[in-house]
Amino acid sequence: MMSVYRLTLRQLSGKWRLIIMAVLASLPVIITLLMLRDDDAPSVGDFETAILSAMLAGAIAPLVVLAIAGAAFGNEVEDRTLANLTLSPIPRWKIALPKLLATITVAAPFIALSALVTAHFAFLADSTATIAVTVSALVVVALYAAAFVWLGLVSTQAIGVGLLYIVLWEGFFSGFVSGVRLLSIRHYAIAIMHGIDPRRFAAGDHLPLSAAIALCLLVIGGFLFLSVRRLRRMDVP
Amino acid sequence: MTGGTVFDIGYQRYTGVREGRGRARRAVFKDSVRTALGFGRGAKAKVLPWFFIGVLSAIGLVMAIVAGAANRLGGPGTAERAGLPSHVDFYGAASIIMFVFAAVVAPELLCRDRREGVINLYLVRPLTGTDYIAARWLAFFLVMLAAAWAPQFILFLGLSMGDAAPLVYLKNHWLDVPRFMLSGVAMAAFLTTLAMLTASFTTRRAYASVFLVGLVVISSPFTVGLAEEMEGMAAQWVSMFTITNIPMHVNDVIFGKFSEMTEEVPARLFANWIKVTWCIAWTAIPGALLWSRYRKLTP
Amino acid sequence: MSATSAPVIRVQSVSRWFGSVVAVSEVSFDIMPGITGLLGPNGAGKTTLLRMITGLAETSSGTVSVFGQPVRDNPPLYRRIGVMSEHETVYGFMKGREFVTMMGELRGVPNVEAAADRAIALVDMADTQHRAMDTYSRGMRQRMRLAATLVHDPEILILDEPLNGADPRQRVHFKRLLQQLAADGRTIVLSSHILEEVEELAETVLLIINGKLAASGGFRAIRAALNQRPYHVRVLCDAPRALAARVVGLPSVDAVHVDPDGALIILSRNVLDLQVELPRLARTASIRLLRVEPLDDSLESVFGYLVEQ
Repeated sequence: MMSVYRLTLRQLSGKWRLIIMAVLASLPVIITLLMLRDDDAPSVGDFETAILSAMLAGAIAPLVVLAIAGAAFGNEVEDRTLANLTLSPIPRWKIALPKLLATITVAAPFIALSALVTAHFAFLADSTATIAVTVSALVVVALYAAAFVWLGLVSTQAIGVGLLYIVLWEGFFSGFVSGVRLLSIRHYAIAIMHGIDPRRFAAGDHLPLSAAIALCLLVIGGFLFLSVRRLRRMDVP
Repeated sequence: MTGGTVFDIGYQRYTGVREGRGRARRAVFKDSVRTALGFGRGAKAKVLPWFFIGVLSAIGLVMAIVAGAANRLGGPGTAERAGLPSHVDFYGAASIIMFVFAAVVAPELLCRDRREGVINLYLVRPLTGTDYIAARWLAFFLVMLAAAWAPQFILFLGLSMGDAAPLVYLKNHWLDVPRFMLSGVAMAAFLTTLAMLTASFTTRRAYASVFLVGLVVISSPFTVGLAEEMEGMAAQWVSMFTITNIPMHVNDVIFGKFSEMTEEVPARLFANWIKVTWCIAWTAIPGALLWSRYRKLTP
Repeated sequence: MSATSAPVIRVQSVSRWFGSVVAVSEVSFDIMPGITGLLGPNGAGKTTLLRMITGLAETSSGTVSVFGQPVRDNPPLYRRIGVMSEHETVYGFMKGREFVTMMGELRGVPNVEAAADRAIALVDMADTQHRAMDTYSRGMRQRMRLAATLVHDPEILILDEPLNGADPRQRVHFKRLLQQLAADGRTIVLSSHILEEVEELAETVLLIINGKLAASGGFRAIRAALNQRPYHVRVLCDAPRALAARVVGLPSVDAVHVDPDGALIILSRNVLDLQVELPRLARTASIRLLRVEPLDDSLESVFGYLVEQ
């Protein structure tokens, strides 16, 4: 398993990719600092909606994770190197799981750090709120990673489909139609943030913490299961 | 010891017409259109491009239906008075979809050839790098233009047929057609060039697509938020860097009024010539960069 | 090897179709230890068949078993199988040795550094093992891939077009290596579209044409079957009867007939000599050759011949 993990880390960590991720991850920090300079600072609700939900969880995190997770299996399929892994006497989950973990390892530090610093400044070093935001960011990375790793394995159009999901489903529909929130990765992560610090993030209509945790585990476990199933059944190029 | 022999086994030279560079350019153009729309590549390749075109058309259709319903309920002209979305607003409403479409298709046209070395096969033909990129650009531009115009025509037809007196509507609103067509040209040229420039920097389609969409989706709240924090000229200039709005300002100039997307942005206060020049610059400079990346290529 | 020993690989009534295209059709055979050559024209279905034998692709019908177990969805079997595919499936950013050791680790080799040393030495790549693979020539990448295939000392080797891109010296080295591995009791399946390669190496040949098994067995018997059937070559020229009269005297020609449309059909069992003699003859007689084409691919004709039998 470590071999697959190390291989995937190397495949996903190109210099330019890491630089672009660092730049993207710094944007919420910069904009928060700018917002705080203004005497007329936004409310918690506005900040959450605009920066945490829309920008970080709704745009930066899914796009960064899509680029990385889509490549985890997608590049192997495109380059026809997947057989190197599948022709090994190891169970398929020992291929899928390290791919997922490597994806999270590459993407999570940037997103989590961005969330941590953003929340630290925005909530004036309130540790509970900072922890809530950071945990939520880690959760959103894990959720998107599980979904997009699977997508990269099943479809050569993974990026197009992933982009449509992010822009149309997470970006558009889930903002309007409340029922869609039950099927929105972004809203699970936001619900966890609310659950960890209900005092700070009281407003708004969100899933209870226990339900959100269960759905997150279902999403991660479900997509991992689907990835393993796909590895067992697919014709490996 | 042993001598060498060259065998004359009756090889005959090709004696047909040799069509040269023009034919080669047309071939690249045709291939680009087919690739963009998924023709000749099985059903799966058609799903995404036609889904995008379908969504765009649906937006136009929905706008027409809503306006028609308003006019039927409230009498002729209700939709216009109520400020319901119309031609001037369409590109703003559809811009993110068009961006994603461009972001997904442009890398298909450019990245694969470089990744798999096929570009060399093109360049050993009577084709220069300039010919290649110009043919690709033109083909994709026309596809984007079709994707931009089709829903607008659907909207126009819908609005005129939904009107109580279609011929009167046509007579009063026929200028909308050249307006949205011209605005569509600006939109298509801008998107095509930006998407292809992004794709020219990497051989992995995925990274090009995500980078372009990321640039747009992530910079927008940034520039919008920053512009709100600032005042005066500074705010206007920051607002000009909202990428999705760049062609929309030209749209406003053409229609002579602000669209819903731009009616509250600071950049709307700039003079028309600044808005148009800005869009041209954002198309021409990336275009020049794109050209420079390809013109020096040799096999 | 006794006559009653179980086959190492058993393929039973295997077919594979893609939509309406049948790539492999009702193929059955057993593979025993030693070198078996899988031979056939490009597009015959060899790669599809090999992918089904290695479990990389599913069969549409029929079964493939290796050591008596189904090969599909059976990862533990891969400890005993080494596969080298047709495509260059390497990670360019990796050094050669890193690639081999990673493959060794994935296949559960206990002392992976020693195993990598041995495998790399076998393919004569010790000098260049610490270079990145994208700096290798094609032949070098091929050799390093072979080392990665051998690192876990598998009992079965499945090699798809292994000599693609190999220079003559590498070919000789590779052939000796394979013969040595087979002599140690391994089962090697080697796919190729080049007759001479398979002729030198394989004791048993499986001939695949259009997805069907056209012949199997000892190579010499198949070669003899090929030789019994003459090739048909169609010639268009500006003086067919004059050419026919001269061609019939060539030692490489069995028979000639002239079609109603003026084409010459030459039957020959020695096309190599005919290829030299015919143009020479035409030039001497000042006859202009317009077209010379074989009407039946020799392997196709074998298949047809064998089906008739």
